[in-house]
Amino acid sequence: METSETTQQGKQYHRISGKKYGARLESRTLEEQIQEAVAEGHRRIEVEAFGQHGIGGRLWRAGGEPLVIRISGHSGQRVGSMGYANTRIVVDGPASDDVGWLNAGAEITVLGNAANGAGNAMAQGKILVAGNIGARGMTMTKRNPRFEPPELWVLGSAGDYFGEFMAGGIAVICGWKPQTPENVLGYRPLVGMVGGKVFFRGPHAGFSQVDAKLIPIEDDDWRWLQENMALFLERIRRTELLESLSDRTQWQLLSFRTPQEKAAREKRPMADYRRQVWDAELGAGGLIGDLVSYDRSPIGLVTTGDLRRFVPVWENRKYAPPCEATCPTGIPVHERWRLVREGRVDEAVDLALSFTPFPATICGYLCPNLCMQACTRQSTGMAPVDVTQIGKASIEAGIPELPPESGRTVAVIGGGPAGLSVAWQLRRQGHRAVVYDMATSLGGKITATIPGSRIPKEVLDKELERVAEVIPHIHLHQKLEKTDVERLVEDYDFVVVAVGAQSPRTLPIPGKERLTPALEFLARAKENAVEVGRRVVIIGAGNVGCDVAAEAHRLGAEDITLVDVQEPLSFGKERMAAEAVGAKFLWPRATQAVTDQGVELADGETLSADTVVISIGDAPELSFLPGDITVEKGFIQVNEWFQTTNPKVFAIGDAVRPGLLTDAVGAGRKAAQAITDYLAGRRPMPDKRQMMDLHRVHLEYFDPRITGFEDVETCGSQCASCGACRDCGLCAAICPQTAIHREEIADGGYEYVVDPERCIGCGFCAGACPCGIWDLVENFPIG
Amino acid sequence: MQTDGPVTPSTLSVKDLPWQILWSKEKCSLCGRCTAVCPVNAIELGVFRKRVLDVSIDPSHPPSNLYQVYHGIRQKTDPAYSCVGCASCSLVCPNDAIFPMHSDEVDKLRFHKDRGGQPRRRGGRRNVAQSTLDQIKFIRISMLTDPALDAGRHEFELRTLLGRILPPEDNLAFLSENGWIPPVREIYPLIIGSMSFGALSPNMWEGLQLGISYLNDELGMPVRMCTGEGGCPPRLLRSRFLKNVILQIASGYFGWDEIIHAIPEMKVDPCAVEIKYGQGAKPGDGGLLMWYKVNRLIAAIRGVPAGVSLPSPPTHQTKYSIEESVAKMIQSMYMAWGFRVPVYPKISGTSTAMAVLNNLARNPYAGGLAIDGEDGGTGAAYNVSMNHMGYPIASNIRDAYLTLSTIGMQNELPLFAGGGIGKNGNLAANAAALIMLGASGVQIGKYAMQAAAGCLGSESDRCNICNIGLCPKGITSQDPRLYRRLDVDKVAERVVDMYLSFDTELKKIVAPLGRSTSLPIGMSDALGIGDHHAAERLKIKYVI
Repeated sequence: METSETTQQGKQYHRISGKKYGARLESRTLEEQIQEAVAEGHRRIEVEAFGQHGIGGRLWRAGGEPLVIRISGHSGQRVGSMGYANTRIVVDGPASDDVGWLNAGAEITVLGNAANGAGNAMAQGKILVAGNIGARGMTMTKRNPRFEPPELWVLGSAGDYFGEFMAGGIAVICGWKPQTPENVLGYRPLVGMVGGKVFFRGPHAGFSQVDAKLIPIEDDDWRWLQENMALFLERIRRTELLESLSDRTQWQLLSFRTPQEKAAREKRPMADYRRQVWDAELGAGGLIGDLVSYDRSPIGLVTTGDLRRFVPVWENRKYAPPCEATCPTGIPVHERWRLVREGRVDEAVDLALSFTPFPATICGYLCPNLCMQACTRQSTGMAPVDVTQIGKASIEAGIPELPPESGRTVAVIGGGPAGLSVAWQLRRQGHRAVVYDMATSLGGKITATIPGSRIPKEVLDKELERVAEVIPHIHLHQKLEKTDVERLVEDYDFVVVAVGAQSPRTLPIPGKERLTPALEFLARAKENAVEVGRRVVIIGAGNVGCDVAAEAHRLGAEDITLVDVQEPLSFGKERMAAEAVGAKFLWPRATQAVTDQGVELADGETLSADTVVISIGDAPELSFLPGDITVEKGFIQVNEWFQTTNPKVFAIGDAVRPGLLTDAVGAGRKAAQAITDYLAGRRPMPDKRQMMDLHRVHLEYFDPRITGFEDVETCGSQCASCGACRDCGLCAAICPQTAIHREEIADGGYEYVVDPERCIGCGFCAGACPCGIWDLVENFPIG
Repeated sequence: MQTDGPVTPSTLSVKDLPWQILWSKEKCSLCGRCTAVCPVNAIELGVFRKRVLDVSIDPSHPPSNLYQVYHGIRQKTDPAYSCVGCASCSLVCPNDAIFPMHSDEVDKLRFHKDRGGQPRRRGGRRNVAQSTLDQIKFIRISMLTDPALDAGRHEFELRTLLGRILPPEDNLAFLSENGWIPPVREIYPLIIGSMSFGALSPNMWEGLQLGISYLNDELGMPVRMCTGEGGCPPRLLRSRFLKNVILQIASGYFGWDEIIHAIPEMKVDPCAVEIKYGQGAKPGDGGLLMWYKVNRLIAAIRGVPAGVSLPSPPTHQTKYSIEESVAKMIQSMYMAWGFRVPVYPKISGTSTAMAVLNNLARNPYAGGLAIDGEDGGTGAAYNVSMNHMGYPIASNIRDAYLTLSTIGMQNELPLFAGGGIGKNGNLAANAAALIMLGASGVQIGKYAMQAAAGCLGSESDRCNICNIGLCPKGITSQDPRLYRRLDVDKVAERVVDMYLSFDTELKKIVAPLGRSTSLPIGMSDALGIGDHHAAERLKIKYVI
């Protein structure tokens, strides 16, 4: 069919047919013909279409002059795509897919239904549909602020997925004789809508609630709709419907949700759901409200009161400090230093008399001072507090105040350190102690055998005088036989055996008669009544052997050798004294014989000697003991309270097991305590305090450069007071919660108290306390 | 206090520990919050002595020493109090003055965590971060082929089936012959796997249940959660929420008499019953809830007296074969609810899984098979079991699916995969990979704890102290002082968020495949991997 001029409504149309010589033109060819016609100046064009695509778009060659394109026949897809604002397109019948695709301004009237994708991605212009539209209408539409928004008018209904990702423009769905009367907006409309609005009339079956919302039609909206409705109806030639479509109550308006609205999308708050649904079904308290009654509501990470995981406890004096715990006599050394710090040196000195009758002799001179060896300061290499200073000062201690006698009596056999200790303590408890000893003077081993070089005579004498004043009933030079002892057991409330070990052990070797027992040697040496010669060999290199060496040197020996079968057990001051006089230690060497030449060793060597002393220990002489007292391996068998198999008889000191002077004194104190308890009808109770954990004590507060102590005051200031509060107030100061304060208590003392409602259980008090008083313990269990 | 005494073989320095506490004297305000919150008491207030030399070379002013003391935070080196790296200290520090740093080398502590001859036990997961699932890519992207789907716009059927699905002819035959068709549930394919009431704290457990209940009621997502072994709170058993619950029975049989007593009072049937034969985190090993954790609440739910230890042996004591297990347990469990509730076994990943599968395939009652791979987590296990025992889930589930395909039953016996899904945060990708390898759904545990409750655990052995009841987040503790740190509502909200975002991600994966009408179970042509051996083993494409 040829191109020709036709007329309609008195206007001339340039007619272009989609067929030539009976054959359908390709879309490309038809497009070229339309563009050519516009270029030639035609402004009214009628296109007879045969399914060609994209008719009516892109007609900028008209240079902005109005242009009308009428399409008859079967328009193909994308009618008016990329249409220009000068273009008005009228499709005289239905339109295929994607009418107005990427429309940039054209007005496209479809005088029938439009298929899928009507208005897809249009940004300007109008699409006016006289029927229904298919799926995905008005999707991806835009609104460019430089232009008026695009419009899609549909007389009937929209298909499914209407308005997906709609980003602008106005759609009007009139619902007039809709294809789907029950739902004019189709299935799942407006998914992803971010702009524009949709007027619609008629029922709908839901829309994307997260993207769109129904809003009221304001007067301006309605005025706009009314005005443009008239235009729409005129274009689609249905002006008669204006009244039917003008009932404002039948119209609804959908708009997009703003990003802010989407962010604050309404979901039922969980707390509401729990209350209204969960708890309503399960019951108050939810899942386990029937099983527990305690609060399960949220709490913070840092809590106070009962919600603390750990709580601090002020454990003042709960544990024994290492000095006290390791002192066999049990002297609370740290208490003496506290008294010194408080300026009460006299009381510090006197305090020792509660524990020992020999505070100067033993603590000050003869004791290896286990307290100092155990001193917490030693654990970091700091010099231990020097207890010998307060020990030596104790010579000034006066006679303790003594209670009146109770009438109960105890016989003590042996006036050595153990016997005098038990007698001393019994008298302090109010009981009469009567001491018997074979020797002519009191003090046992201290007096008889310990070299004068180690203990000034005046110190020992002064302490013995004090002892004699406290214990007036002393019978010296009394050797007791078995019958005597049996009588004592009958006559006294209790008998304490403290006879020591005085029977020297010797070796079954040839020439053993040439050996001088060590204790005998020491006793004679102390009286300067022995000729030692130049060369002295001592068999047995323990501390007693060392004392022998020192005494032998004092008496003129030059070549002194100590022989032992094992590594010598000697230590401390005795060992140092022996080494200081040049004594040689040979070990492991066994002795084979003693001759007039000296000592023959098992390996054949002979040690020349003028004097040979045997110093391999001593055993108690116990032939006087009544038969009901069990002796095991040469020593008296006792229980933890030093009670023998005869409950009325106690045994202490070297007669029970060889030990230090302080062991003997401590045994006396412990036996006296047990006896006192029995006399009062009580069971003796052990001191259950454990030793302080060194790690709780903080020595960083003390000067590590102190290597010696000038006086007792320095000693006192450098004592860490392990386990006993120094009342420094550091805990109250470090507490980040101000939860700790000091409180005076009734007896004149004080305590540090925690306010549980402020405390968070951080443990800073325990971490800072120099004395290790505070501990952090688990709170009580809940649930 | 550092002692100068002799060292023992187990004397360690801070450097020897897996975590070093970095503390800034400059920033610290000594508020005490870090030491108050540390779950293992690894830090304490320290007293530090500082020496300053007053220097002078003027003989009239001889040089002297000045000691100053300051207080700060000290890390303990006793192995019993070693830092676990949880960083609770950092969480509460107002000045960012403290945090743990992981050691730059293998720590020495691990050689000493066997005091008293007791090998290390812990909670958590296998300490290996590598994940085969993470390497799997989804290589089929439909743009102009298949339907090109839009995850944000299109609707997807993501539900899966739990229960025995009969082929139509069998279905008809079953109906006519014995009047019974096996029950099948339509459920969401991401299941919260078995974590017991007891292993988890009450607030954590309730938060999870509340969250899935919300997902069901408010968002229409049929999410299910397995109880784990430890019973089920009586109120839940008697509520309509029971439909969301998969009840587990395991070798300890705890709480089952309470469940049986509740059956007459149940408003709805439970979703399913899972019979636990094994666990991926500790294959072949059992559990022991120590007596001190069995408080009155746990005791009531488990149906035992308080204060007794509760052993779950590695095996069911009276079951000696697969056949016996199937015959005795699966059928008996069906009987409890009148054959209305699907029953399926769960095993740990193992080279013997196919033997179990073959047996189940022949049993019309078997409602599925859950396999828990080596990367599964646990509240308590021996370190050696966790780190060295087990079978990777990818090839185990693949073998199972291909076995079912070989016998033509791939659509009949659903497989559920567990163990390490989302271990590096890639929940949806890992789940989708397993589904395309053949799983009908996946079970998660650790991911839920991390996402819903802020669990601090990691494959770098961070925290992992679930076994000692000191969970710093209150997830695995029975101590209200700890578990009240968890807000039930907030846990539930996080469960909801986790599921919604998983849902979106899963759609992002399945949409390009052009699948919207059903889960792409076994759709392995969509999978590729850059490891040739893995590709061969999994029978998926090697891509590079």
